[in-house]
Amino acid sequence: MVKNIIYKEFKGYFRNLNSIFLPLIFFFLIISIFPLLVGPDKNLLNKIIPGIVWITIIFTTVLSSNNFFKDEYNDGFIETYLTSDTSIELILFFKILLCWIFTCLPIIFFIPIVSIFFDIPLKNSFVILFTLIVGSPILVSIGIFGSSLTLGMSKNNVLAPVITLPFYIPILIFSASAIESVSSGLPYEMQLYILMALLFFILPIMPYLLKYTLTLSINN
Amino acid sequence: MDEVLNNLEISINEASCFKGNNLVFENITHLIKNGEMMLIMGPNGCGKTTFIKSICGIQKLDSGSVQFNSVDINSEFSEHLNNILYVGHKNSINRDLTVFENVEYLCAFDKSIKKIQESEIKKCLDYFGLLKFKNYLVSKISEGNKKKTSLVRLLLSKKKIWVLDEPLSFLDSEGNTKILNLFNQHLSNGGLIISSSHIDFSDNVINTKIYRMGNS
Repeated sequence: MVKNIIYKEFKGYFRNLNSIFLPLIFFFLIISIFPLLVGPDKNLLNKIIPGIVWITIIFTTVLSSNNFFKDEYNDGFIETYLTSDTSIELILFFKILLCWIFTCLPIIFFIPIVSIFFDIPLKNSFVILFTLIVGSPILVSIGIFGSSLTLGMSKNNVLAPVITLPFYIPILIFSASAIESVSSGLPYEMQLYILMALLFFILPIMPYLLKYTLTLSINN
Repeated sequence: MDEVLNNLEISINEASCFKGNNLVFENITHLIKNGEMMLIMGPNGCGKTTFIKSICGIQKLDSGSVQFNSVDINSEFSEHLNNILYVGHKNSINRDLTVFENVEYLCAFDKSIKKIQESEIKKCLDYFGLLKFKNYLVSKISEGNKKKTSLVRLLLSKKKIWVLDEPLSFLDSEGNTKILNLFNQHLSNGGLIISSSHIDFSDNVINTKIYRMGNS
């Protein structure tokens, strides 16, 4: 049953392939604009590129998750979710995962190429990759949670990011600290473990929180 | 499971609901048994949709209760959902999928449909005259056909309680009679229907009790 639903959602994503390519183009545009602005200084770029990659990931997740439930809310699909007798938490979990696969994963896939562009050492590039793989699902699920909170309002374009961006800070601090540590030769494992702990804490409870906020959005 | 469900009874006891400080409806008391249809009628904005949602249990009541076989639905919520098929007044279809895929997709939300054959879905689409739109994206078809797509579930589901919100809106007269025939069939099989409508179709459907809201 759930398998069928996921498969159909997957098909829906594939129908609008621009949902995969637009974040990717956006990412490459920002990455290539930065050297134009700050000049081709290799040391400087080496230092700021991880931060820029993270900033673009944040923008993409904010843009893609901001209106995540909007169509479904307008189409009355939330009611179908809530009155369904299948496990709605499981479906929401896979929906988060699909959103991540189609917005963040393509970008993560191209991180090694970006590392070659900017001559980032292999070890550093691995750590950047790892922080993105672990950190971006957290960002996506928090962003989706924010979008579900603001469903009942008519004009909510900026409110959801304003609510959710402060919750990104812990993830950003630990990622930045891991990248900083590896580039100055310090141990970086601790930060990665904390990021993984955050992921395994947030991802399982998010579907339950989402179900609760969706119920609230129907009720008001 | 059928033996257990031979006696269905939904009782609504002095239900009242507020949205913010505004009263939506108050003191609704009603009893429906299997084989009966509750037709909720009333002017726009009298709280029909809110009332329908509260029967499904997704809208909280401020006082009173809804009981299913004399058990409060909130205490046995998942049990309650096993018996209920809700089709809202919005179309609740996935815009990125075709008509055929949408039927499959919507049926996946319903555990009572164990396994559906492709031919079975085609037969149901044919009943509503949707077969030629089978491979159209639902965002490209007309409102009436969208409505029909969301109502195809009624033919496939084996659930006994149908909770429908404005099932006849956007439908042509042929679609209307088909839906009403379906209602008669379901009621004579011992099902139970709660529906809101702005058209009085009680003459065409057996055992219909009209409940009028918001007259005062």
